[in-house]
Amino acid sequence: MSDDLATVSVVIDNTRYAVPRGATVLEAARAQGIYIPTLCAHESLTPYGGCRMCIVEVDGFRNFPTACTTPVAEGMVVRTDTAQLQAMRIDILQLLMSEHTSSCLVCGEKDECRRYSTTIRKVGITTGCRFCAKDGQCEFQEVAERLGVRTIDYPVHYRGMRVEDEDPFYDRDHNLCILCGRCVRVCQEVRVADVLGFKYRGRRAVVGPAFERTHVEAGCEFCGACVAVCPTGALAEKARKWEGKPDREVHTTCPYCGVGCRMRLRVREDRMIGTLPDADPAGGEGQLCVRGRFCVSEVVNEPRRLRRPSRGAGSIAAEITWDEAIARAAERLAACAPGTFRMLVSPCLTNEDLYVAQKFARVALGTNDIDCTARTAYGSGFPAYLDLLRGGATLADVRRASAILCVGLDTRFGRSVVGVELRRAARQGRKVVTLHARPHNLTRIAERWLRPAPGGELALLRDLLAAVASPGTGGASPAGDVAAAAAILRGAEAPAILLGSELLPYDRSAELLQTLADLARRLGARIVPLPAQNNLRGTLEMGAYAGLLPGGAAVADAAARSRLERLWGVPPPAAVSGWNAGNPAAGARGVLYLVGETLPPELRATSDHVIYQNIYPLPFSRPADLALPAAAFTEVDGSCIHADGRVLRVRPAVAPPAEALPDWEILCRVARRMGKSGFEFADAAAVRAEIARVVEGFPAGGESDAPRPYRGAGAVSVPPAAAPAAEAGPRPFVLTAAALEHVHRGFPLTTWVEGAERLFPAGVAALHPRDAAAAGLSEGDEIAVEAPDLRGVWRVRIDPEQPAGALHVTLRHGERLSRNPCRVEVRKCHV
Amino acid sequence: MEARRQAALREWEALEHGAVPVVYVGAGTCGRAAGALEVREAARRTLERIGVPARIVEVGCIGPCYLEPLLDVRVPGQPRVSYGNVTPALAARILESYLVRHDPLPQLAVGHFGDGSGAPGQAIDGIPRFFDLPMLRPQVRLVLRNCGFIDPENLDHYLARDGYRGLERALEVGPEAVIAEVREAGVRGRGGAGFPTYRKWELCRAAPGEPKYVICNVSEGDPGAFMNRSLIEGDPHCVLEGLLIAGFAIGASHGYVYINADYRLAIARLRKAAQDMEACGLLGRNILGRGFDFDLTIKEGAGAFVCGEETAQIGSIEGRRGMPRSRPPFPAQAGLFGKPTIINNVETLGSLPNILRNGAAWYKGFGVQGNSGTKTFSLVGAVRRPGLIEVPLGIRLREIIESIGGGSWKPFKAVQTGGPSGGCLSGEFLDTPVEYEKMTAAGSIMGSGGMIVIDEDTCVVDLALYFLRFTQSESCGKCSPCRVGTWHMVNILERIVAGRGEPEDLALLQHLAETVARASLCGLGQTAPNPVLTTLRYFRDEYLAHVRDRTCPAGVCKELVEYRIDPARCNGCRQCVPICPTDAIHGARSEPHAIDPLRCIQCRACYEVCRHDPLAADAVVLGPRRSAR
Repeated sequence: MSDDLATVSVVIDNTRYAVPRGATVLEAARAQGIYIPTLCAHESLTPYGGCRMCIVEVDGFRNFPTACTTPVAEGMVVRTDTAQLQAMRIDILQLLMSEHTSSCLVCGEKDECRRYSTTIRKVGITTGCRFCAKDGQCEFQEVAERLGVRTIDYPVHYRGMRVEDEDPFYDRDHNLCILCGRCVRVCQEVRVADVLGFKYRGRRAVVGPAFERTHVEAGCEFCGACVAVCPTGALAEKARKWEGKPDREVHTTCPYCGVGCRMRLRVREDRMIGTLPDADPAGGEGQLCVRGRFCVSEVVNEPRRLRRPSRGAGSIAAEITWDEAIARAAERLAACAPGTFRMLVSPCLTNEDLYVAQKFARVALGTNDIDCTARTAYGSGFPAYLDLLRGGATLADVRRASAILCVGLDTRFGRSVVGVELRRAARQGRKVVTLHARPHNLTRIAERWLRPAPGGELALLRDLLAAVASPGTGGASPAGDVAAAAAILRGAEAPAILLGSELLPYDRSAELLQTLADLARRLGARIVPLPAQNNLRGTLEMGAYAGLLPGGAAVADAAARSRLERLWGVPPPAAVSGWNAGNPAAGARGVLYLVGETLPPELRATSDHVIYQNIYPLPFSRPADLALPAAAFTEVDGSCIHADGRVLRVRPAVAPPAEALPDWEILCRVARRMGKSGFEFADAAAVRAEIARVVEGFPAGGESDAPRPYRGAGAVSVPPAAAPAAEAGPRPFVLTAAALEHVHRGFPLTTWVEGAERLFPAGVAALHPRDAAAAGLSEGDEIAVEAPDLRGVWRVRIDPEQPAGALHVTLRHGERLSRNPCRVEVRKCHV
Repeated sequence: MEARRQAALREWEALEHGAVPVVYVGAGTCGRAAGALEVREAARRTLERIGVPARIVEVGCIGPCYLEPLLDVRVPGQPRVSYGNVTPALAARILESYLVRHDPLPQLAVGHFGDGSGAPGQAIDGIPRFFDLPMLRPQVRLVLRNCGFIDPENLDHYLARDGYRGLERALEVGPEAVIAEVREAGVRGRGGAGFPTYRKWELCRAAPGEPKYVICNVSEGDPGAFMNRSLIEGDPHCVLEGLLIAGFAIGASHGYVYINADYRLAIARLRKAAQDMEACGLLGRNILGRGFDFDLTIKEGAGAFVCGEETAQIGSIEGRRGMPRSRPPFPAQAGLFGKPTIINNVETLGSLPNILRNGAAWYKGFGVQGNSGTKTFSLVGAVRRPGLIEVPLGIRLREIIESIGGGSWKPFKAVQTGGPSGGCLSGEFLDTPVEYEKMTAAGSIMGSGGMIVIDEDTCVVDLALYFLRFTQSESCGKCSPCRVGTWHMVNILERIVAGRGEPEDLALLQHLAETVARASLCGLGQTAPNPVLTTLRYFRDEYLAHVRDRTCPAGVCKELVEYRIDPARCNGCRQCVPICPTDAIHGARSEPHAIDPLRCIQCRACYEVCRHDPLAADAVVLGPRRSAR
């Protein structure tokens, strides 16, 4: 007898053990180091009992129970390794092998040929049967080897089913599937997505989305959780099918949005071969979205990466040495007259890069003329957005809320980890209300979908506020939904509001956020902002704006300036810069230094000289005068700050290509060449140490799991609202525009990742079928859209869900509309 | 309730002994398939024409399928008389004759329902008593007592026949006493496994968790089985009363009837019954004023065979794919929506009202020690009198097949009990008593009630293949031994019936069958090899004939046999020539004929005509295939 309540005493293979009560026989045995073969069992999924490999003998049980599904009980006597069990396991395994391509399992030559299988030869000799991408990492193979199965006693029948390869990112080869159900369970239990299920019966039983839909059609988010748990080669990542087994893994943070998922970088022979989710102590239980899961290696392994510094533009561009590049930059910058230097940084940079960049502007050039593209993306609503960061809400608030209002949020391809939280909430009976103009993936779980007319978001939000304030009034249409949503929110405990970025580019985003804040106050709700930029908070705390000093103090704050002077030895400039990237006309022409950003056309036009520092070259049409190759996030040591204030580490996994260097280091080299002191950092840790002295609450180790509300006192100026343009001429369409979310260092991910283009194409305009027919447009046609301050060409996507008379586009990086929504004219482009 | 019952009794009295003639039409799905609705319509028109104000009552199936459709007539002062194989024209003739000319046409009548159902009764006008018919004589009708007698859509008929008295008694004595009564009666699961019903109930009653659920399992999927459908179509209230009793005993407040969606009539009758129950306080809150709350949901399943398995059925009700899961935990501990749940077969539930009303001792009076009560079977196959029967446990198979079924048409070969999960028993087992343990010992199972009689025209290898194909295509795919193992077995059997089998295939088949039986997750896989295991055991010669001699003794496996005409016997009668669909037979009159093996499609028509035509000389013979196809 065991003497405490937490354990029970069981006998496994003639030895008595005390094992935790509630554990399964499999868990108990494994904890004692006893091997029981399994295929369908997985530690993060519910027991299944399908593969039957883990059958054991238990006294008093009929038949042979499976260890993975049988809970231990006091006094249980288990045998895991009798001759009969072994024979049955081998039988079952052989049955599975008889319908599985099995040369990798039982071929007598496999050990010999594997040594040669990567040999490149032009002669017609067999260099290994590379049927399967999982060769060497396959659990089926491993179990077969452990059980010593070298023959198959049953006739082998290749099922010959078509490999499903029409979806982006992964292929499904039914011929390799053993129907262990892991992918189905992970989709249903962990992702709460229910995209995958079993279909058909008997020998035709297969896994896949129901009704013969493709994964795209079935609403798959391409999170890749199914691929990660597949024990065989049935599910394989398209892009790195043949990359093999990783040598090591590096723990880091995803750079693609503000959710800040932890991830593991998988490296083989100093090359990125993939990513997997990592357990996150502060939230997400090891989840990624399609971008973090499938878009990292392609972005960093891209052959078009900048590898060496180059000068000149177009046909006279020439690669130069770092020495020459640094000298040229230093020389050009040293010659800058006051007020003729401007720096634009990306919110994708690490804190270390951002800190050094602003120090570079303030110390080396003595100017506050630094700006970040995040500010322009948020437009007039930026100060209000920063106020949300002061609220200190975290994703944990969503887990506590009994009702959740989602505003302008779509979690299918970005922030899908938040979508999992929402689906889990809905499954638990908590209520989700979503406000979004267009169909999105929350409609399926939402109790109410508040659907504004194009541009009617503000009015709808005000109606909701009114309905919440005075029950009984529903406001304007759709009145019933607003009243019902208001009732749901009013009656909720600790409601939460999740703010996506769909509505932020609207010209009235300031009012919208104000209304949202009023609503939150009225409901006692917490607003959780979900910024699209992974280090938005870092740009603020590092002072990457003209009016903000590191630590968040205003430039005008003399005390803050003198504190920095003591540290830097040079006083930061006091003059508040008039320049901002959103208003290129302001400020004198001169040198533009881009750090991790692309070159917007209007800035090219107003700059004499462009120093461009990034990981990819600029497009041919917009050349820079000097291009400096930077290291990508998988290649640098650094940190970023989550919207809730947690500081997350970024760790190097592979070496940068050729001569690329971390952004901060390039800046330091230029500054040193200019003869400036204060840039002698030995490594990123040294930069962090200095940041920790300036920024309150920033840990010198670059990692902290404690959320901190934003306390920066300084204000960030916003571009003046454009005067309403005269509505000249007939403009039949209402144009609404959303920001392109899937951007890294100024480039859309779709530029580099093939599959992404299928899921979230850039440069697409959605149009109602009737409008398209009236204008003689068909799917894929190019149209020119003319707005008062925007001219662009988009590809037509005909969408029956789009309201008639309205056109929806996704803005490209750097594009802005001063009036959003606005009336536009549409013209078909003739090729 | 009592007032309602009195009114019901008055109505019943008027029906059974009133001054108005009554016409009963057996219109279950089986009767309808045989033309009962047309007969009913003909009866209605005839009554209109002859101007007799008779009532027409639709009743459920009374059992003898071979007599369908059945039409019964009761005229005032006379017992009800039953007519079989009635056509619309015949119905008109019977009614006109009996109601107008007072001639019951005894030559057409099957039996009468006079003087109760006790001792052998008298023949009236030469019409035997219905229950004295050889098919009915050995039967004991407890569960089926109302089938064919009451209008299944009329609650009053059920009440008049002591309906819901069992529930009244249950509510009176309390749940523990109900469980004790059921234990005392020795009720065992009629779904086939024979697990003592009270044990499940006790486990569930004691299990923590609210609410508890009770499910009535009407996922009847065996090929050739229709007991449960007929019972529900004939007497839905008896099943629902049983469901309420079970629910009350285990402390459930919600019941489900899980029924195949293609049982349209049964579903309609259940819905009607539930509606009537609700209207008179037999469902909902505070049933019969005893503080018992019970709601009912009728859940239609898509008909997967595996959904008859308890855990798969629970999954299906929950909205998931019907796939079994491992036990423990048992459904009685954590079942539907994770709550303690009891799943009982239709027939188990249907016998509860009788037990509660009459007591355990009465019930134990039927059957034998350890196997008390009765069991319904669908007696089908090559038997002269197929039908729905109910027999006391302990009865010999021989009595069922020979007395009730009237024996097989051709020499008996085997009987398959328990459908695809059961075994195929040869003639030496005919004296086996129908008891759970004895059936299992013989290699078969009691099963839910399918009983298929096979005569010499059936090849057992082909039969095993048929059942295995069924279980293989119904395997949910979850566990590998069942999904892949049965498929290999199907392949081997297909090889054997195609004449490509080898003697070593039999050992492989045996080995596979044992592996699948031992290693599969659920009952479907564990029992799927039974038809193969039993036929391999009892009909090994027939397998050997296929693999060694390359012939099929039953003449079923087309690749192995050939029809030939024995020229020494053929008298050239030409009876076979015109019926051959492919003109494969040629020969002049009075000259021996011959069959062209290349044209012959082995339809067997010539063989049958040569056997049975008086002119023919039994010259068409079956033999091992000699010519290549």
